Amino acid sequence: MRWRYPWLILLPLLLLAALFLLQGPAWGNGYLLSRRLWRLGAMLLAALCVALSSIVFQTLSGNRVLSPAVMGYEAAYGLGQALMVLVGGALGVVQPGMAGGFLLSLGWVLGYAWLLQRWLGRASLRLEQYLLLGLVLGMVMDTFAQFARFGASPGEFAVLQGLTYSSFNRVTPQALLYAAAPVALAALWLYRRRAELDVLLLGREQATALGVDYLRCQRRYLALAAVLAAICTSLVGPTAFMGVLVANLAYAIAGSSRHTLTMPLGSALALLLFLLAQWLVEHVFNYRTTVGILVNLLCGVYLLALLLRRKGFA
Amino acid sequence: MISVHALSHHYVGRTVLSGIDTVFPTGKFSALIGANGAGKSTLLMLMARQLQPAAGELRLAGMPLSQLTVRQFAQQVATLRQFPDFRLRLTLEELVAFGRYPHSQGRLGPADKAAVDDAIDYLGLASLRGRYVDELSGGQRQLAFLAMTIAQQTPLLLLDEPLNNLDIRHAIDIMRALRRLCDERGCTVIMVIHDINLAANYADHIVAMKHGRVYASGEVAEVMQSALLGEVFGLDFEVQRQHGGYVCNYFTYR
Repeated sequence: MRWRYPWLILLPLLLLAALFLLQGPAWGNGYLLSRRLWRLGAMLLAALCVALSSIVFQTLSGNRVLSPAVMGYEAAYGLGQALMVLVGGALGVVQPGMAGGFLLSLGWVLGYAWLLQRWLGRASLRLEQYLLLGLVLGMVMDTFAQFARFGASPGEFAVLQGLTYSSFNRVTPQALLYAAAPVALAALWLYRRRAELDVLLLGREQATALGVDYLRCQRRYLALAAVLAAICTSLVGPTAFMGVLVANLAYAIAGSSRHTLTMPLGSALALLLFLLAQWLVEHVFNYRTTVGILVNLLCGVYLLALLLRRKGFA
Repeated sequence: MISVHALSHHYVGRTVLSGIDTVFPTGKFSALIGANGAGKSTLLMLMARQLQPAAGELRLAGMPLSQLTVRQFAQQVATLRQFPDFRLRLTLEELVAFGRYPHSQGRLGPADKAAVDDAIDYLGLASLRGRYVDELSGGQRQLAFLAMTIAQQTPLLLLDEPLNNLDIRHAIDIMRALRRLCDERGCTVIMVIHDINLAANYADHIVAMKHGRVYASGEVAEVMQSALLGEVFGLDFEVQRQHGGYVCNYFTYR
């Protein structure tokens, strides 16, 4: 599985990006081109969020089948959307695509993450307990969200249903601009600290022995993973276990656990997957399905293949 | 080098160390021996700052450990715990380079690279440097981890049972390397070890523990007494001196 030249991934990536931007009548059509550019921007941000948050989360938990989704961030998002509809009715349904809706949802998910994090700090929970807490709270919120959806009219329900899958069509330029700065900063910061992340891979004891303040790092990186996951979910909707797939593919292709390779590769792979799915949605399925459904399908097949083959896990 | 003062520790309701007072001599190879549950590993982990003591104090060259930052500490003390199963994709060279992290924070300079090369050569691992650590044999992997610890170039090394599951060849390789670290580089080595014969033949100083207390400590010759060791382990011990070395007979069925 290991590639000799991992940067070769840029080739299909650029090709697909060019195809996505320029196919059909977009050439010379400023409006169409700018619309596609915004969508490409959304994909880029979402790809960075999904890949980086998952890789960091897996490094901290020492577990390769987890992604920040287990912490219930996506469930918090779903509950937020359902509540918005319950309170605001049809207006609440229109909201989510707008920049205001993005900020509202982001604030809501971050608030939940912050509460969890405070719990981690105060109760000095072990990481496993913290994960379990997130998992349970996520399930509770899912149930509440389902309950809240019963109060929606069939039209509102259909829109809510649509929001449970990721899609790039509802991202507005304004929301994109709000998201760009924090994501770029987080990505830069993580890349600068790649050596520390490598040391954290060795586990708590060995990292401490190498002069890393493990608990402080753990809090810091978990918070960052939460912020990235929250931005991604609020921007394009839940991505479920796509992060697991992207991270594991990156480890396999890189043939190395070092973050200097896995983080850029994971981001590139996520973007590739998004581009592929979006292109399929636009040109093959003609908008009859969504990116989220396609991505989940692809990831599901890959994970099953991985489990059945029982190797290639790098 | 490192001194222990009235140190106590307990895990939920159970006392594992009580009132430990001892000094580990600078530039010497010390062995911590005793039965399972005697508190050896706990003492070592307290010295390595992996645990916080319930009472008492530890001093490194006269300075209380609590006054050092995590990074300062890692520049002076290298710790190697029992080896976990290793599932990371890293080459031996990359693993050894981790030993430089306390000094370089990940940006390897010429001095760091020299230290990595030196540690690899020191243990004779040059032929394996490009190999993946998860594909090495158990013995080679333990040597690789030891090389990482050596690359840290600290005056004090703490090792928790580094010989577990090793064949006699690799065990001797590790003991010899540590002996040379003391003799040639003036390092202080403290090691938890179960093989009493290896401890007696390679160490300078032995601390024997029993029920969370130091039962005896001193030069090898002072501690290697049949009656004393018999008490420590609750076995019939017969310490023999042969060809300038020690052989303990505790396994003959009587």
